[in-house]
Amino acid sequence: MHKIMVILYKEWLEIRQQRMLIISMVLPPLIFALLPLVVVYGVAHTGSSGNLNLPRANNLSQLGHMSPAEVAQALVGMQLSVLFLLLPSIITSIVASYSVVGEKTSRTLEPLLATPTRTWELLVGKSLAALIPGVGVTWLSGLIFIIGMALLTSSQRVFFAIVSPGWLILFLVWSPLIGLISIAVMIAISSRVNDPRTAQQLSVWIIVPFFAVFFGQAAGIQVLGPVFTLIVAVILAALALLAVWVMTQIFQRETILTRWK
Amino acid sequence: MNAIETHHLTRTFGERVAVDSLTLAIPEGTIFGFLGPNGAGKTTTVRMLASLIAPTSGSATVNGHEVGTDDEVIRQSVGILTETPGLYERLTALQNLVFFGQLYNLPAQRAAEQAERYLRLLDLWDRRADKVGSFSKGMRQKVAIARALLHEPKIVFLDEPTAGLDPEASRVVRDFIKSLKSEGRTIFLTTHNLPEADELCDLIAVFRTKLVRLDTPEKLRVGLFGRGAEVRVVGDAARWIETVKALPFVHNVTARESTLSIGLDDPDEQNPALIQALVYAGAQIRTVAPIAHSLEDVYLELVENGKSEGEQPAATQRSTPT
Repeated sequence: MHKIMVILYKEWLEIRQQRMLIISMVLPPLIFALLPLVVVYGVAHTGSSGNLNLPRANNLSQLGHMSPAEVAQALVGMQLSVLFLLLPSIITSIVASYSVVGEKTSRTLEPLLATPTRTWELLVGKSLAALIPGVGVTWLSGLIFIIGMALLTSSQRVFFAIVSPGWLILFLVWSPLIGLISIAVMIAISSRVNDPRTAQQLSVWIIVPFFAVFFGQAAGIQVLGPVFTLIVAVILAALALLAVWVMTQIFQRETILTRWK
Repeated sequence: MNAIETHHLTRTFGERVAVDSLTLAIPEGTIFGFLGPNGAGKTTTVRMLASLIAPTSGSATVNGHEVGTDDEVIRQSVGILTETPGLYERLTALQNLVFFGQLYNLPAQRAAEQAERYLRLLDLWDRRADKVGSFSKGMRQKVAIARALLHEPKIVFLDEPTAGLDPEASRVVRDFIKSLKSEGRTIFLTTHNLPEADELCDLIAVFRTKLVRLDTPEKLRVGLFGRGAEVRVVGDAARWIETVKALPFVHNVTARESTLSIGLDDPDEQNPALIQALVYAGAQIRTVAPIAHSLEDVYLELVENGKSEGEQPAATQRSTPT
């Protein structure tokens, strides 16, 4: 545990020194928190909601008793709230790509592996260094989103339609799991490439499942109900375990030393 | 007791043999020079001995611990300076050292004390709070050397410790390596700087996938080139070749301009008779000096010309520094 903390502390010292990395970590969460607030506020104050064609409203029981303006606000808010799924994946991928491939490019990996540090300690330290800021920033921006929604939605019914139990499960449980999967995939990819940008480009595929949820929600196929989100959380937990196992299999000290150039 | 022992240590990568049946023994407190051309398998050998990669076959013990079995203990008991310093450029020298010290199981306070000790010894204490990225190559190398020593290892692997350093910095590093030996540590030195190896090493191994030769620098020289004397005379030296050849203890003699190069078994004993014979024959002698073959001559002879003392098994080539 001690060495994990040591690695974690070192990673944070390094992150603090990288302005571009910090901007990459802070900017998307700010946009993701503020964009829905602006749009929801706009929907409520432009008067355009009356002209919206909202066939989905008939399929969503929680919107049944709302006015057209409330329905418009709720639908837009619900749709944009799914964006928070992207954050843990984006941020952890950025941090992990620097922390793992960065060791390659700065040639610090050999001295690191020469210490009596176990592989799992190294991987846990690296993973936490990416996971904690990734999830932390996601939750912080989500908190801004929740507070903003509480202030800007036209009624409590709209607020609870957006910040629903299902969304809270997505936000609180899916986020760290998606972050963990992203890190594991990123470290696995990093074991095969030499450039942080290549690793990031390959890790883009991690966000594909997000689009399934986003467009499913948009098409009214799937509402983020608590049962659905819990089932997905269990599946994500299993995937996270699998991804971590694959990461430990791919991250072989010897392979890394003899193949990484 | 031997600090390092290997028995038919072999490492292959697919079909390629990187290290072939290396057998050697390095006594404690020795500075061991491991010489060979690029791609000879030196780094692979060091990585095996530092428990970074496993041997394909054969065995090795480091500080009495078996490579492949006690890897974590071995990593704790050795220090390694890799080919490139490998430091975190955004961190300060002190942060780098404290980080690695803690990974070597030193408590934070002790790691900081050790970092201070070595930064002072290497004259970097005043720069401790500067980012390593702002350091010159020599300064980085010093920090990397300090990192290899933080946990006070008994064995230190140094891969090209003075490569790319200016003469002053190289001198500091060489003196530091000597001071490590005086503390009883075993130094495994990989270098292409042959004068440096000659100056520092008690034992030299010339290696090219296989062990070509292992001995003390002096024995390597004598074994390959023998001993002898260079005699500078007035006028053309060739005139005196027959005179010298007539002496029963002379192995060979060559002349170039005014210098005779004469192969002898024991120059200290035989030089007086040699000089007497030349003077008696009428030669006017300017100087007499021992024939000096550098380690570079030895290395080139062994590596480039493939010359060795027969194909004796490496195990029988073990030697103890004299």
